[in-house]
Amino acid sequence: MKKGLTETSKTGAIAWLLQRITAVILFVLLIVHYIGYHMLSKGVGKVDGAEQISYEKVKALMSSPFFNLIQFLFLISALYHGVNGLWTVIEDYVSNKGWRLFLYSLLVVVGISLLFVGTMTILKVGA
Amino acid sequence: MAKEKRNIKILRYNPKTDKKPHWKSYNLELDSELTILDVLNEIHWKIDGSLAYRRSCRSAICGSCAMKINGQNLLACETPMHKFKGTIKIEPLPGFPILKDLVVDMDGFFKKIERVKPYLILDKPTPIKEFIQTPEEFDNIREAATCILCGACTSSCPSLWANEDYLGPAALLKSYRFIFDTRDDGSVDRIDIVNDKNGIWRCHTIFNCMEACPKNIKITEYLSKLKVKVLENTI
Repeated sequence: MKKGLTETSKTGAIAWLLQRITAVILFVLLIVHYIGYHMLSKGVGKVDGAEQISYEKVKALMSSPFFNLIQFLFLISALYHGVNGLWTVIEDYVSNKGWRLFLYSLLVVVGISLLFVGTMTILKVGA
Repeated sequence: MAKEKRNIKILRYNPKTDKKPHWKSYNLELDSELTILDVLNEIHWKIDGSLAYRRSCRSAICGSCAMKINGQNLLACETPMHKFKGTIKIEPLPGFPILKDLVVDMDGFFKKIERVKPYLILDKPTPIKEFIQTPEEFDNIREAATCILCGACTSSCPSLWANEDYLGPAALLKSYRFIFDTRDDGSVDRIDIVNDKNGIWRCHTIFNCMEACPKNIKITEYLSKLKVKVLENTI
């Protein structure tokens, strides 16, 4: 994440383009994510009349390298999109330099932490 | 003409005597067919000669009388009083420093327009006769060229409220008007000027400018086209 953030050009052009690209990726992959985990993974019988999601099926899906790759792309896109969005909001509305530095740092730390947690989840559940 | 009683509230400010702007209320009996500019004239000529406001052509082409009327940036001269019910609140354009009453300091606004070089830049010699452009070529900039520089768009832009260094929609639209002009040779320069954190990339597609424009120019749409053009030229 850090690399991606410092790589955004000085003008903001690349950041804008990446924000658009990740938006499209998110839109598509959110649907894939939903179909995969919430529709295809059902089938352990009904509780209160509603079909339940099966742990075994989710686990099976998450051991597929292809699906994991998609999940990782989903994670990276969501993180970039969110962090860049908040980065821009801070840039726009926080004029105090100290506060700005603090919030930028916080954002980077939170971003890296979420990247770690997300990657571990993708790698571990299916393994 | 039918007469009606109206309450007009104007945000008054005199830098010599007031610490900050304050509302002043006027109760008037007015012809119902007046425009907001007529109402201001009525107050200025008959009640309080100290009321300051800009006006000139009273036909929506000079761009002098843009102001905030009942929360919207409008041209006073083309806005009929009957558009509003009850009290009418008139304020100076937001986002600009107030000089006096409804008169704001537009210097910064015009400096930003100047920064994008609002004139044809030519490598070739100027033609002796007309500078021919096909109607299709002109269609690119037809609407953008109708800007009257009233400031309603720039003044309504939240990105500008947060960052006064932002070029703002009017200046960016002006740069669009020349960058997309097929006769112009200066677009490399201009693209370089608008390709900046305080240039086109500060635009977050909020659409306030488009809503405020009294000439109904689809500003946000053109700025989006400009973003693509800038990207094409920088990557």
